[in-house]
Amino acid sequence: MMHVADPKDDLPISGDHPGALEFRARKPMGAGIWMRLLSISWRNLWRNRRRTWLTVCGIAFSVWLLVFARSIQDGTFELMVDNGARMLPGHVQIQHPEYEASPRMEYTFSASPAIDRLRGTGDFEYISARAQGFALVSVDEKSFGAQIIGLEPKVEGQWSTLASMLSEGRYLQRKGEAVIGRVLARNIGASLNQELILLGTAKQGGVAALAVQIVGVYDTGQAELDRAIVQIHIDDFRPTWNLSADEAHLVVALGKSLTRSDVGLEKFRSTMDEGAFGTLGWRDLMPEAEQLWDMKQISTEMFFYIIALIVGFSVVNTFMMLVFERTSEMGVMMAIGMKPGYLVAQLQFEAFLLSVTGVALGATLAGALVAWMGETGMPLPVQADELLKQYNMPDRLYPNFDWRALFIASGIMMLGTQFAALIPGQRVFRMRPVDAIRQEG
Amino acid sequence: MLKLLVQLSLRNLTRHKRRNLMLFAAIAVAVGGVTAMNTLIRGFQADMLDSAVSNLTGHIKIYAPGYRDDPNIQRGFELAENFQPDVAAEDLLGWAPRIRVPAVIMSERETRGIQLVGVDPAAEVISFLSTVEITGENLTDSNDGRVLIGRELARQLETKVGRRLVIITQGADGLNREKGFRIAGTFDSEGTSLEKIFVFTGLTRLQSMLDSHSVTEVSIRLRSEPKTISVKEVLIDFFVGLEVRDWQELEPQAAAMYIFADGAIFIWFALMMSALTFGLINTLIAAVMERVKEFGMLRAIGMRKSVIIAQVVIESTIIMTIGVAVGLVMGYLVFLFFADGIDLSAFAEGVEGFGMRTKLVPVMLVSDLVLVATLSLALGVLASVYPAWRAVKITPLEALRR
Amino acid sequence: MSETVVSCTGVTRTYQEDTVPVYALRGVDFSVQQGEFVSLSGPSGSGKSTLLNVIGGLDRPDQGTVIVDGVDLSELSESELADMRLHKIGFVFQAYNLIPVLSALENVEFIMQLQGVGSVERRQKAQNILESLGIGELGNRRPGELSGGQQQRVAVARSIVTGPVLLLADEPSANLDSVTTRELLDLLRDLNEKRGMTIITATHDPMVMSYATRQVRLRDGAIEQDETPVTV
Repeated sequence: MMHVADPKDDLPISGDHPGALEFRARKPMGAGIWMRLLSISWRNLWRNRRRTWLTVCGIAFSVWLLVFARSIQDGTFELMVDNGARMLPGHVQIQHPEYEASPRMEYTFSASPAIDRLRGTGDFEYISARAQGFALVSVDEKSFGAQIIGLEPKVEGQWSTLASMLSEGRYLQRKGEAVIGRVLARNIGASLNQELILLGTAKQGGVAALAVQIVGVYDTGQAELDRAIVQIHIDDFRPTWNLSADEAHLVVALGKSLTRSDVGLEKFRSTMDEGAFGTLGWRDLMPEAEQLWDMKQISTEMFFYIIALIVGFSVVNTFMMLVFERTSEMGVMMAIGMKPGYLVAQLQFEAFLLSVTGVALGATLAGALVAWMGETGMPLPVQADELLKQYNMPDRLYPNFDWRALFIASGIMMLGTQFAALIPGQRVFRMRPVDAIRQEG
Repeated sequence: MLKLLVQLSLRNLTRHKRRNLMLFAAIAVAVGGVTAMNTLIRGFQADMLDSAVSNLTGHIKIYAPGYRDDPNIQRGFELAENFQPDVAAEDLLGWAPRIRVPAVIMSERETRGIQLVGVDPAAEVISFLSTVEITGENLTDSNDGRVLIGRELARQLETKVGRRLVIITQGADGLNREKGFRIAGTFDSEGTSLEKIFVFTGLTRLQSMLDSHSVTEVSIRLRSEPKTISVKEVLIDFFVGLEVRDWQELEPQAAAMYIFADGAIFIWFALMMSALTFGLINTLIAAVMERVKEFGMLRAIGMRKSVIIAQVVIESTIIMTIGVAVGLVMGYLVFLFFADGIDLSAFAEGVEGFGMRTKLVPVMLVSDLVLVATLSLALGVLASVYPAWRAVKITPLEALRR
Repeated sequence: MSETVVSCTGVTRTYQEDTVPVYALRGVDFSVQQGEFVSLSGPSGSGKSTLLNVIGGLDRPDQGTVIVDGVDLSELSESELADMRLHKIGFVFQAYNLIPVLSALENVEFIMQLQGVGSVERRQKAQNILESLGIGELGNRRPGELSGGQQQRVAVARSIVTGPVLLLADEPSANLDSVTTRELLDLLRDLNEKRGMTIITATHDPMVMSYATRQVRLRDGAIEQDETPVTV
């Protein structure tokens, strides 16, 4: 027999006659019930560990994928752009305003003011002038057309990758010297130390003729560079093509970093007179770099969305099974007075806990992988060699954790999970407790 | 017996229409997504191949040794009058002899370095020249002494159709030749480097300008790429003393992208299917677990373990088959939707750098469809292993007791 | 004092099963006074569960009036009915009474949390009620760790802790053996006699019927018999 309490215990046996009015005034529920629902949700996850884990892993997988893929791309991109810039164009170029559209000998400008202004921004490490034009290049009887670039080797030699890609000889240092590409050398039958004759049209007409000695032959693997360019000292170019001591077609600058070069360029643009110069950043100089980057971004994102959709179905599935299994239990809860809204909210809490765990897991995995690779780098497959040479990519990739990708991935997965849980969850609203209780759960 | 199991599976599937619908949807999206992506990647691949092959490379090229290092007319070779490559007609699309030498071209205003190409316009049905858009006129025949230049080059030289240009190049004796040419027409190859580099003129006229009877290359275009290797063997035997090279050797970059595409397809598939696996296993296990009583009862009446396993595997396979079928159809519809091509002109410069055209036309390969379907079904079978194992672990006793 | 807790007049409830209409209740008149222990019995399909559900506000009659503790249920919205069930009516079902992931104590507390009762007060009340039902030491166990009989006791505890006017039990002994059933019934009798709890149970178990002070038999949706047997 059990112990029976004193009838004087504080338990009202019957209420007064409240009438229907009492129930029209709803009592607000305190924070306590929400905490309890959250606690129920957390504990519910453990009821079926395997299912919880599979769902969490699905979410983690998609987050990991986007973050990791973007981190790799992110790390590569800057490197790729920088490598490309150091091959020839630099990060930033200042030009005569019409030079970009029509690169003619006449379109020169005074280099010093532009150089000074660039230096004044503090964002650039190397700044120098170039004067360039087309000419016939010949050794003995064979001649070929090429772009002659007069530059300042003391400055450019410090950053130019091309200067370090010599298959023979050395980079140019002083007047009277030239470096040419291997394909060009081959085409005109030139070899190291031979004399090269340059023949072109000077500014304002007249003949520009120059003899220089080939001190180096470079091999970049890029056809355009190897076939069509000869680099000489700008102090040779200027007198030969009738340019004055400060005249230039370009001022080339390398920023202290890729981002700094953008900053510095903006400063330059804001302080110059409207239309005084043509100003080109790396995006203008190498449009294909950014476009390839955009294409890759888009395709990665699309990929992610499809995967997110697939995982989304799996979440809907999970909650469908879940709701089905707990039908009787939920029926009873509604019978004792819990409103359906609270049940749906509880399911939403469960969804939230799943997605948060999944996101955390995916982010951690991606982070760990990125950190590990940050040290050792990720080697690329051998077949990629040709591609790498062409697109200035290093042979090891160093990923850079992409926080933006993490925000996007988490946001989408979390919102998606909430929505996915709502699809079967909203059925609770239409549940009749009586039927639910009788159902085989 | 098998029929019975299949019937049981089908009945089970229809019992939980909603739940299985989600799984079908997931499989369909995964398979459809992979199929659609495959068509885009194959389109890219085809583009790579096409640009490599049609921009004068062809599938196979024949040179004299030393030409590639020193491309001038002195490194040419003579073709017999009634020369024909010894290749079966059904494999061969065509062949074209050419002279290709570096040269300098000058207009009144500008000078440029180019590749001067002497062609037989009739034979050039195998290259891009036959399909490219031409303003003005194309060259009429091998004797046409005019030139066909790229639109971009014309713009750089600040000249146009009907005007004259001067071309300087090296003749057979090693001395320079200079000659004037009138522009017959300009070609538009969507801004690719072809427009900036190539200048075409009649082969025979060029030969006389250079004082030579040689050609520097013969380009062969086949009907289908896979034949390349075997045809190349034949040509190596035929053209004794000459270099015979296929497009992969001549255009390593395009070849690399081509191979890369195969890798990309595989990676896509692996990732999509991985995403699918989580939901798949969940559903399969749930399907098993809710039939604990049933399985226990079947074991109690004497059904062997292997039959239980078969049941689970069959169910998984049926689910996969339906999902894959729907997915393939979905992928096909997406393919049809984009069949005209996706406009990539926003990425024009980048795309050109790859040698691609600005319109990506998807390509559907039956072999891809078969591969996706087979691998997906295999995945379905694999994913059912764990649930099947769980099903079998249920002893009749504990099942009936529940 | 003898107030009318439940008053049903002309209650009719018909529902469709496939294409066949089922006349679960046909114009039933039924009322229960405070302090009664009523059993509703009858063959399956007699309408006993339906009547219980209608009284508890889980089902709405197609015709007729149901007044519980002075409140006409037809005037209440679904949400208000839920409140009614929360504050005024206690339910014990055959199974699934308890939230599996909460302990016995937490299960009893839960219903008070739904009502917004403060945490100290409710913990106290929950502990008290469990003790008064003889299962005070089982408070920290989850339903999965309790026997069938213990679970039902916790269910009873939860259903009365808020002081409802009425306790409804639908086949409460269906999953229990006879010894445990007797223990549960002793508990219910105790609640009824010592604390005046009004109890209505739908059952087909003769043992349950024997504990009731008033036995109502239904058949085909109507009351066939309504007796108050003399207890020894």
